[in-house]
Amino acid sequence: MDALAKLQILSGAARYDASCASSGSKRDASTSGTGNTSQSGICHSWSDDGRCISLLKILLSNDCRYDCAYCVNRSSSLVERASFTAREVVDLTLEFYRRNYIEGLFLSSAVMQSPDCTMERMVRVVETLRTEEQFGGYIHLKIIPGCSSELVRKAGLYADRISVNIELPSQISLQRLAPQKNKDAILEPMALIGREINSSLVERKASRNAPRFAPAGQSTQMIIGASPENDFQILRLSQGLYKKMNLKRVYYSAYVPVSDDNRLPVLSAPPLLREHRLYQADWLLRFYGFSAEEILSDDAPNLDETFDPKTAWALRHPEFFPVEINRADYATLLRVPGIGVTSAKRIIAARRFSAVTPEGMKKIGVVMKRAKYFITGSGRTFEKPDRTPALLRQQLLLGEGSLIVPSRQLVLPGLFL
Amino acid sequence: MNRYLYDGTADGLLSAIAWIIEEEPDPERVALAEREDTLFEEGFFISTDAIQAESLFFRLRRRAPDAAHTLYSFMMAEKEGMAGSLLHYISLAFTHGDKINGYLTHPDVRDIVSIAKKAGRELHRMKGLLRFEKLLDGAYLAKMGPDYNIIQPLAYHFCSRLRAQNWFLYDIKRYTAARWSNGALQFGSIEQFTTPALSEDEKKVQALWQTFFKTIAIPDRKNPRLQKSNMPVKYWKYLTEKQG
Repeated sequence: MDALAKLQILSGAARYDASCASSGSKRDASTSGTGNTSQSGICHSWSDDGRCISLLKILLSNDCRYDCAYCVNRSSSLVERASFTAREVVDLTLEFYRRNYIEGLFLSSAVMQSPDCTMERMVRVVETLRTEEQFGGYIHLKIIPGCSSELVRKAGLYADRISVNIELPSQISLQRLAPQKNKDAILEPMALIGREINSSLVERKASRNAPRFAPAGQSTQMIIGASPENDFQILRLSQGLYKKMNLKRVYYSAYVPVSDDNRLPVLSAPPLLREHRLYQADWLLRFYGFSAEEILSDDAPNLDETFDPKTAWALRHPEFFPVEINRADYATLLRVPGIGVTSAKRIIAARRFSAVTPEGMKKIGVVMKRAKYFITGSGRTFEKPDRTPALLRQQLLLGEGSLIVPSRQLVLPGLFL
Repeated sequence: MNRYLYDGTADGLLSAIAWIIEEEPDPERVALAEREDTLFEEGFFISTDAIQAESLFFRLRRRAPDAAHTLYSFMMAEKEGMAGSLLHYISLAFTHGDKINGYLTHPDVRDIVSIAKKAGRELHRMKGLLRFEKLLDGAYLAKMGPDYNIIQPLAYHFCSRLRAQNWFLYDIKRYTAARWSNGALQFGSIEQFTTPALSEDEKKVQALWQTFFKTIAIPDRKNPRLQKSNMPVKYWKYLTEKQG
């Protein structure tokens, strides 16, 4: 099989991994090698699904021993199988990098003979890139759950980011859909990576020459809509991962039907709106000072499809508003629907010079579509006051100028025990 | 209100601004424009002094590094008719320091910052969207047609990134080029440009990239609008993955 045919199979098999970040790591180029990394990350292209391409995202092999129901590469699937040699991956990466197609390599793999054997082959690829070829570009390496901690440590020394996929939001679902995987084998390397990252940061404070361990941090991914967990369970899990495991990112991947296994729900299309709302809620956790318990509760465990999670929170908390934009602190401004990190910072910077008026808000680039219902400027309201929550909901909806999007997720009753 | 003129060059603009900030008590109340040499043109002409221009930039960088960066990006946009706004912006930057970029309710600050941002955004974009092709002699060539004059900072970016190979950048709109050869960077202009022959394996590598580009998209999530908003069609002309 030639390189082109392999690339077709092994990039097609890798496309369900959502992460394509190339940020968070700053490395200067070596004097004789090729490549560096940029703190902000660089996107090199956008594929037909609109997602950014910054890394050569491939599997080393799709020849999998496991039979996870949701996965296109499960052993019972009839897809064509292929495996790259280490040299093939190294050459592809370098040829692409020299033409500025990519920012680096994202290497994952199906589980071949054993986790250890697979992980060892993956580590050998990045070792060749870093030491023989002196490649300085970005590398994201997947960790195969169940591999030895020695290999995890080695991976972290060569890669900018490493990640272990949590796959499904609960142990029960994992048992049902991926019986050969288990929670402990996934969480153990995550905890190890978290510890190694921390101790490397401490060592680097003492000495700048101490080795870096996964400088762009660790991330994970879970599949949304293949199992019955509600959004509250998912968000609490993410919150725990951010707080306890110190993860940089949790990725959510709307389940794309790739199998007619009867353990899986029947979907008319991937639950993209749900995925979008989860990402919005995830941003609220990481950058807006919200907790999962503020966004959702046991009584209302799923994210509103009509409103973004922050607007939904604001509608439940009329006592918090209106917010006075010329006095509110950063954390309070961030709670206003429509005001994000950029807008909040701009408001604070601009009011150092003079009080911000409604016209001023537009001038500094704050989008007022939603915000105007929730703020005052020097005591003046932006919209007529005294609106009841019901009226406000209606205003917000009509103001959006779009119809309510009906749920695209079709869940057959009785499917989940 | 005093009216001043300069010769239309970047150095002329900055030296005029340096002179006015030095001599005028209230630069905010002064007008500055490019000299057009019409019969009844009013205004005092300030002659160009490259040393003054450079010294202004360095002083600004010490006083307000972010504002100096904004000035640099603004100059890449080569916008005409904004000399007055730039004068006011720089004078305010010396008064307020880096806080100035937050003063977006001031019309001149907003204009300068927003143009600088657009130019900076295109520079960042081109760091990703530039595509090199390997030539017969082993060097790499990238053609581009950006809206702003970004070739200098773009070339510096690739100097450290692709230092192990010889390469050229060519801006087909401005006929300017950058050349990195054996560890040295040069800028110049090319009036008549013909694309040299490609290396033998180039088409093969391009086919690999085109294949990857096609298969990495998830068919069930096809979203051409999102693709175009992230990667405007004007850049597609030089993208390897959008050919063939």
